Amino acid sequence: MTIKRSPSRLFPLLTAIIIAALVAGCGAPAAGPPEAEPAEPAEPAAGGESAEPASLDFVVWSYGIETIQDNIKNFQEANPECQINLKDYSWLEYHDTMVGRFAAGDPPPLLYGSDHWLQEWASAGWLAPLNEPFPQVADYSGELAPYALQGMTYDGDVYGLSYYADTIDFVYNEDQLQQAGFDAPPQSWQDVWDMATALKEQGITEYPMILAFSQAEGASIEAMISMIYGRHTGEDALFDDANQPTFAQEGSAAHEAIQWLKEAYDAGLLDPASLQTAEIDQVKSMQSGAHTFTILPQYNMAELNRPESGEFAGKFRIALMPGDSHSTVGYVRFYAMTPEAAAMGEDALACAWKFLEYFGGKTDGNYAVVKRWAVENGLGFAQLPLFEDPDVNEAFGTWGDVDVIAQQAELARAKEGLTPWFGAWDVFTRAEIHKAILGQQSTMDTLNNMAAKWDELAQQ
Amino acid sequence: MNAKVKRRIESLSLNLLALLLIVFIVGPLVWVAVASIQGENELLRQPPRIIPHNPTLDNYNYVFTGKIPTAYEVKGQLRSRISQEARLIPQALKNSFIVATSVMIVNLIIGSVAAYTFARKRFPGKEAMLNFILGSRLLPVMAVAIPYYVIIQTMGLLDTHLSLILVYLALTLPFTIWFLTSYFKGIPVDFEEAAQIDGCNTLQALTRVVVPMALPGLVAAAAFAFMTSYNEFLFARFLTQSIDSQTGPVIIASIAGNPDASYTLISVAITLGLIPPLVLAIILRRRLTEGLSTSITFR
Amino acid sequence: MAHVQLGASIRRRLKLGRQAYPYLSVIPVLLVVALFAIYPILHAVRMSFFKYLLTRPNDHPFVGLGNFIEVITSYYFKNSLEVTAVYTLAAVSGVILYGLGVALLLNTTIRLARPLKVVILLPWALPAVVSGLLWKWILNADFGILNGLLMALGLIDSYIPFLADPTLAKASLIMAFIWKEGPLVTIFFLAGLQLIPDEYYEAAKIDGGGAWTIFRYVKAPLLRPVFLIVIVYETMAAILTFDTIFVMTGGGPADSTALISWFAYAEIFKGLNLGHGIALAILIAAITLGLIVFYLRALRSEDAAA
Repeated sequence: MTIKRSPSRLFPLLTAIIIAALVAGCGAPAAGPPEAEPAEPAEPAAGGESAEPASLDFVVWSYGIETIQDNIKNFQEANPECQINLKDYSWLEYHDTMVGRFAAGDPPPLLYGSDHWLQEWASAGWLAPLNEPFPQVADYSGELAPYALQGMTYDGDVYGLSYYADTIDFVYNEDQLQQAGFDAPPQSWQDVWDMATALKEQGITEYPMILAFSQAEGASIEAMISMIYGRHTGEDALFDDANQPTFAQEGSAAHEAIQWLKEAYDAGLLDPASLQTAEIDQVKSMQSGAHTFTILPQYNMAELNRPESGEFAGKFRIALMPGDSHSTVGYVRFYAMTPEAAAMGEDALACAWKFLEYFGGKTDGNYAVVKRWAVENGLGFAQLPLFEDPDVNEAFGTWGDVDVIAQQAELARAKEGLTPWFGAWDVFTRAEIHKAILGQQSTMDTLNNMAAKWDELAQQ
Repeated sequence: MNAKVKRRIESLSLNLLALLLIVFIVGPLVWVAVASIQGENELLRQPPRIIPHNPTLDNYNYVFTGKIPTAYEVKGQLRSRISQEARLIPQALKNSFIVATSVMIVNLIIGSVAAYTFARKRFPGKEAMLNFILGSRLLPVMAVAIPYYVIIQTMGLLDTHLSLILVYLALTLPFTIWFLTSYFKGIPVDFEEAAQIDGCNTLQALTRVVVPMALPGLVAAAAFAFMTSYNEFLFARFLTQSIDSQTGPVIIASIAGNPDASYTLISVAITLGLIPPLVLAIILRRRLTEGLSTSITFR
Repeated sequence: MAHVQLGASIRRRLKLGRQAYPYLSVIPVLLVVALFAIYPILHAVRMSFFKYLLTRPNDHPFVGLGNFIEVITSYYFKNSLEVTAVYTLAAVSGVILYGLGVALLLNTTIRLARPLKVVILLPWALPAVVSGLLWKWILNADFGILNGLLMALGLIDSYIPFLADPTLAKASLIMAFIWKEGPLVTIFFLAGLQLIPDEYYEAAKIDGGGAWTIFRYVKAPLLRPVFLIVIVYETMAAILTFDTIFVMTGGGPADSTALISWFAYAEIFKGLNLGHGIALAILIAAITLGLIVFYLRALRSEDAAA
């Protein structure tokens, strides 16, 4: 039985829809912050309504949410005309998710920022400089550790107030080191080698050193750079003023650092598992006493030395980064603002400053919130006056040596080469360093590849 | 004698294989359950213990009531160093469950209706539609993540259950339809024809005749829709912003990513997260192996 | 059987209703899919022809096929295609063998079939990130339980860093994939097996066939449509594996586990190069489509979706 079909009306309809969509999509592809966002449901335009508090979203990564909410509560009590809505994403996804939001044209007015993306985000116009609407931010700049101020400045403008700041530290297990017959921490990388060899020979630890060098680990590049800084005096360890690579030479600090790692890997001093280890596991491994030396961001010390965390709780010490200059990487995470805050109106902008000052600045002459993070959670700080605070000293003293911490902070430098393409270069570099350590290619080749990739990305 | 021995050997080896499979499948999960009742220090020994020496329910207590486990209590500190995000697990799992169940139900309803049409009817545009539906899943999701965000934001649905439900429907429907279409085709058409002679229209034929026979396929499709939604991560983390709608995977990733991460709490989160699917599995498993009964005969 | 004479207008309306039904029944599905397919996909395709760096949102020159060429000639393309090919081949064949085996086992009457039936769904109940986390933990070189067990059984004398060795890392990822995807394959094969009427088995037994014959002539042919669906789905799942890599290895060590989907993600979210990322995604879609067409041809069956 045949059915006479009437010509389907669906095909022309479908074609029309597709053409319409194409036409609608014409013009600048719709991404990037639109100039004047129509009033969004979550943030009513604050223009002169006296009773309505200005409502601002504040986006963070998911750490200490309860503490943040408590801080927000206190802030709102002191400033009833401002309402803050907390939103959070996990730290591992924070950067990527925020990039997605910026690209989709949905930036929040207030958020966390970090020095290693500042260049990316500021050059794209996603963050708003603070010194123009709020010149008073300059008062705080004087009290900051240099590396922190560097990390929050782009093109001469300041983009944030510090949430917390830390250095990348060389950490050792004091008990195990003493057991091997050493009373003082290593001063040079030769010391580290000799001590590690002794530890291994005496059977104290099978792999005396561990590093968090998994390709999934964001801090791995910071650890690598800190090892380079320690060996290098002055600036231009990696890039010069024009952001040209300076590391691809025989005898450079970078060459020595990577070569040392390769030899340590071959000699069984560096745990092969370092290539798959990320920060959390690194800390747990240290706690279990499986390794004596490591390099990690300082805030992990509080967890490392947490009482009852393991056999060696309280025995982990910070040493100045081995090498001639003892310099290391310092980084800062900060409270930042997007152009969204200004777009929301004067009241919102005023609230934004009050918020920034309450969290990253002083209330009644005290860095209240920063101090709270330091004392309760062991987070480092960039605000130098806090080093004098007795409460901070006492709290830090439970897990670290305050003098060493202060000393290392002075010797810390911001990462060189922070540019909009640093992230892409980082992804490439991690694999290259692995190849060097595994012996798949020579150290010099690795450095050349890294330099070439840098140049290529800079051209784009 | 020979056949009996042969059958015995066969049965034994099959049982052995099944045992190995059970160990492989369940092993990691048993480990997680065991880890969730241990203290963190016990876990980090080398080698870790499978049978805990000091089992404790402190971790579960913390998640549900906020009482800090003894292992984390520190004298003299205002706040102990335990992951605060772990307290959000029950709410996150609830979100996951709501979203996944909704997606499953909608999938079953509109998916099976559409699949039945594709399986039995011929009409102009059918090929184009089917290819369109299936083709929509070809492009890797990360390329379209940003446009999806824009769509959801324009609809004002950010940070809601509905946003996830809609997106997951778009992700699961194509496959559900493809599978059910093929499955329905595999059912002999005689019964529906008989029903239609008796006066049933298409929809009634579907619900009264086909569905009972296609139960295993429908169950498989339902399970697929539920699990895919329950486990989805990329859009869950992108489109949700607070515990109002954050799902299980997002919270577990937060716990695992923070400096105060603890494997015991992660284990608790994972163990708790297993419960809804486990319940689903127990309900559905019988339906899965019911099939065409032996009373079906062919003319 | 009563035969009712209907008036012409009623007959016309009934016919219209019957003609409209197919379209009405698929509208809900089409709407949902269209909402999330038309705009995003067209938008993405369009963007792939422009140079698009997220950090420069106002400057996108038209570059035609430039993005595609840059992606194909990039440092990672060839290597990650190889990695992806090896991984996909091993993972898909592994998971199909596994799923088919379990489904066949569950269809028997051995005693352990019942407990097996209860547990098969469990690995599926974990999100990919969680499963990745779990396996990473189990495979840990310092406190991982697998190393502990192997050591206790005397099979190794020092802990193996599974994920730090290029080959072992690949193997671990494949194993994690099979563990996680196995339930889906099993469940679909099981559903397919239920469709086979018992008469076929009886007929085969009457003809004197043993288990292997039954499999070859009864089960395998009738499972072909399910097999096609499963192989297509699992191939897509393998090529697009992302969450587990992100969590377990980050593509390492030395990019040995960096699948092509990993780079699509990295180009967009780390390199902030949307043009590259989308071009790569389109290439992946094209490869996947090619594979699907290949499967369809190879398994030419009248039950295929075409």
